Amino acid sequence: MPLTTGALDISAAELALASLFIVAAGAISLWGRIGLGKPILMGAVRCVLQLTIMGYVLSFIFGIASPWVVLLLFCVMVAFAVRIVRGNVSEKSIPFVFPSFVTMLLVYTVVTGIVSGLIVGVRPFWHPQYFIPLAGMVAGNSMTALGLSLDRLLSDLKAKRDLVEMQLCLGATPVEASQDIFRDALKAGMIPSVNSLAGVGLVFLPGMMTGQILSGEDPMLAIRYQIVVMFMLVASTALTVSLVLGIVRQRCFSPGRQLLLRSNRPQ
Amino acid sequence: MIHQIPCFEFHDVSFAWHGERVILERQSFSLPQGAFVLIRGPSGGGKSTLLRLMNRLEEVETGEISYLGQNLTDWHPSELRQQVAYLQQTPVISDRSVRDILLQPFSFRINREKTKPSDQILQQLLGKVQMKDIGLDDPGAVLSGGQRQRLSLLRTLLTGPNVLLLDEPTSSLDSESRRCVLELVEELNRQGTTIVMITHDTFLPNHVPVMKITIDQGRVFVCR
Repeated sequence: MPLTTGALDISAAELALASLFIVAAGAISLWGRIGLGKPILMGAVRCVLQLTIMGYVLSFIFGIASPWVVLLLFCVMVAFAVRIVRGNVSEKSIPFVFPSFVTMLLVYTVVTGIVSGLIVGVRPFWHPQYFIPLAGMVAGNSMTALGLSLDRLLSDLKAKRDLVEMQLCLGATPVEASQDIFRDALKAGMIPSVNSLAGVGLVFLPGMMTGQILSGEDPMLAIRYQIVVMFMLVASTALTVSLVLGIVRQRCFSPGRQLLLRSNRPQ
Repeated sequence: MIHQIPCFEFHDVSFAWHGERVILERQSFSLPQGAFVLIRGPSGGGKSTLLRLMNRLEEVETGEISYLGQNLTDWHPSELRQQVAYLQQTPVISDRSVRDILLQPFSFRINREKTKPSDQILQQLLGKVQMKDIGLDDPGAVLSGGQRQRLSLLRTLLTGPNVLLLDEPTSSLDSESRRCVLELVEELNRQGTTIVMITHDTFLPNHVPVMKITIDQGRVFVCR
């Protein structure tokens, strides 16, 4: 069967038909009495609204040849990613929003720039048609990993306070005293992206490749893009998670090398 | 021999948990070098907190604490904790081998230039606390509560601290093991180590003078 050129249009009526999937999910929530009906509905509404707004924004930006506009949009995307990460981390006593934002912005910009400018060869490298989707994939994937690993780091430091203090008392630096906990948190953040390397193409066809195939691209070209994207995601996740964890770990200790995270129970 | 510079000097020290539960309220006292200090008081009265302040695991709210004449905040934290070793009430022992557990302090940068004790020395030390049947390759996971407590004490001793802050070091021990541990602690004191020990025991060292401290409702009572 020959490939179709360009993606087939989806009308408003056909989009409405797709909303039956949401109805099905809501029905399962009702049947199982798990109380997710409202979050599913709100999530679906947000999904439609946010994607529609993003569609208009992208259409507008594609028409303007300005790196600053691309950077501004990217900053907004990263800011929202950080906001989501913050919501996923239960421990609120250690400030990590600003260092997370700066690290994510720098790492994502560098990694995406390398992919779009060097590997794909787009000129200029910040061309919104390539830079924004690639950067969005990087941000979306690693923010989940970052939330996981930060939550793990902070909750483990709190729960294993005795272990950390024992090592501090034996002369360890904060880095030495928290090294095992740091490693576990880093691993927790990286494992999903590493696993997806093994599962892609067998267990699932990722979104970028799917989108390209749907729009009529040769699958052999689509897979090359996807391979680049998968490698990019692993690297950006590893870099972001390790850098942010390192900065946040430092903030968990006072200048006197006391662990600042504590339960409410005094000793 | 008691030297002139106090080992610890508390000057107008206040500390409260979460700004509410007062542990110390403007207390001043000193502990001489080479002293054997017993701390007693009601449960929850702040005995452990006092040791944590001396090791700088907690910061005073007002006043200052000096070690050998120098404010604790002027000491490099790792160097202070090397000299002023704190043994927690609940021992923290990993699943690694007994040897790895004992030698753990030597894996930290501050202790890397010190000579690691040999297996023979480690085995002798285990013998001193009634653990001669424990092998150096045995995992920490199989040790009883009392054995963990003794192992934790030995680990603290290996880098040769000047001061030992012991938080109920014999609470999980039977009478024979308790006697061995207290003899070891007395021996260390005779060799010049300052001992500050929390205990609910009616224990009194046999051959060294004792200084007794009671903490209650924010006040410290010193009895020499």
